[in-house]
Amino acid sequence: MAPTISVDSLHKSFARHEVLHGLSFEVQPGTVLGLIGPNGAGKTTTIRCLLDIIRPSSGALSVLGEDPRRAGPGLRRRIGYLPGELILESRVTGRRLLDHFARLSGPVRPGRIAELADRLAVPLDKQVRELSKGNKQKLGLIQAFMHDPEVLILDEPTSGLDPLLQQEFLSMVAEVKTDGRSILLSSHVLSELQQSADRVAILREGSIVANASVEELRATAVRRLRIRLEDDGGAPDTPALASAAGQLERVPGVDGIRVLADGRLEASVHDGVRPLLQTLAGLPVTDVVLEEPDLEEAVLTLYGPPPGGGSGHPPGRPGNSGQPGHRHGRHGRKEA
Amino acid sequence: MFAIFTRGVVDSWRATLAWAVGLVAAAALYLPIFPSIAGTGQMQQLLNSMPPELTKALNYDQIGTGPGYTQSTLYGLLGFLLLSMAAIAWGASAVGGDEESGLLELTLAHGVTRVSVVIGRALAILARLLFLVLVMFCAVAVLNGPSQLGLDLGKVAGGSFGFAGLIALSAAAALLGGALRGRKVHGLILGAAVAVLGYVFNAVGRQSESVEWLLKLSPYHWLLGSDPFSHGVDWGVCAGLWIGTLALMTLAAVVLRARDVGR
Repeated sequence: MAPTISVDSLHKSFARHEVLHGLSFEVQPGTVLGLIGPNGAGKTTTIRCLLDIIRPSSGALSVLGEDPRRAGPGLRRRIGYLPGELILESRVTGRRLLDHFARLSGPVRPGRIAELADRLAVPLDKQVRELSKGNKQKLGLIQAFMHDPEVLILDEPTSGLDPLLQQEFLSMVAEVKTDGRSILLSSHVLSELQQSADRVAILREGSIVANASVEELRATAVRRLRIRLEDDGGAPDTPALASAAGQLERVPGVDGIRVLADGRLEASVHDGVRPLLQTLAGLPVTDVVLEEPDLEEAVLTLYGPPPGGGSGHPPGRPGNSGQPGHRHGRHGRKEA
Repeated sequence: MFAIFTRGVVDSWRATLAWAVGLVAAAALYLPIFPSIAGTGQMQQLLNSMPPELTKALNYDQIGTGPGYTQSTLYGLLGFLLLSMAAIAWGASAVGGDEESGLLELTLAHGVTRVSVVIGRALAILARLLFLVLVMFCAVAVLNGPSQLGLDLGKVAGGSFGFAGLIALSAAAALLGGALRGRKVHGLILGAAVAVLGYVFNAVGRQSESVEWLLKLSPYHWLLGSDPFSHGVDWGVCAGLWIGTLALMTLAAVVLRARDVGR
């Protein structure tokens, strides 16, 4: 099936300063792709290119099979967009504002706006300037979702939303997926994405440094292991601890072993846990904590210089080693 | 385009109404005192006592007649000032101000073309402007008898249409200025340049033959130099002002279509 969104070798320069260095990624029908990266990585620039708000310097873009540069308003009616910096006219009521957008991008099913407003608990008859940041963000979400677009492009959608509404947002995302529609959403925090996204593309300084499914990311992310041994006496330097540390060191994918102040052993686990469990079975362990894989840390590792001095490649440029999933290169491109 | 147009007209009705009140007040302030000035000869005495350069700069040389008085005080001065301010502010905000504040991005992401947004907003500005000029015309028509102005309303109507074109030219320049780089201040500068320089070139150009060429550069003079309220509007000039307005507005649409928005 043709991808809903396809970005191929997207370059963008502003006044001879290149900010996007040849991005490529795809969003498949019925899936959610999370674009994640620190502020200034190029997420918003990429998204604005997809909406034809700014124009690529080079590269091929396709949304719903059409080139945004040429497709015109017909294509944008099929897209729901939430800008990262949402600015709304302030001297109108939310209802009037949404009615206006409905006239531009409609048709909107009768009752749909009220239904979404109920769901997100936003007052529609107040002037926009009287609304809190969170309520304005909800109006932004409503205008993106109300015409049931075939693809949603949401830039930092949950910023300003309280946790309860973030849950509501997640269920709205799930419904879109169930309908077979697609979503591209960006965030600078992974925790916002890991519940909603199927895949994550990590952007750094205008390049994609990794493109992986959340599962792949999880599988390669570091887990932290903490164990307590029998008769350790709470002291950090018993022979039992030293012997256990020695055995753990020989387990593939385990490193960073150290003794904590309370006498427990801590280690980082990179790969599968089976060899580790076999080793642990032979140790006089009284307590084991193996944490959930820390995706946040996995992503931060990709943002920053590679741990242990790196692989000799500039950080974040193609060629980095040790990254999860596959790099998006020439394969998986849009069929012409 | 229609949704953009109606929104531009309807949502700003309060501001439009406020400007209308201001213009009616200006007419009500100036016009009723004409009989007391013209009838007593005091005005002529005052004019005689003023340096001729000043009378010319203020276009007060025709002030002894009703049409001349109406043109000099209302259309040539206070009405021109008020309407230019309003129109330049609208023009500069329509694209430049909207883009600068971040509002334009979301509008353009919806089912519109950039050209339709610019044209819709430009037409909304023209509609509001024509409404205000019509209000002025009505005020003048009502005051014509009581203030003994002796105006030929047909000529006032033609002059008003030309006057709307003169103001619209500044609005269009402001729209274009804002559209060039997405900055409201560029619109204000370009719009004000057309209005203010037009006024100044007229005032200076009328002083002596050596600077008369300045009059050729003044849209203000193109229209008001032939005393349209006394002698009827020069339809060629009128058409020129309106064609210039539409050309600048079209250029604004072309410029916006060609560039990145919001940076």
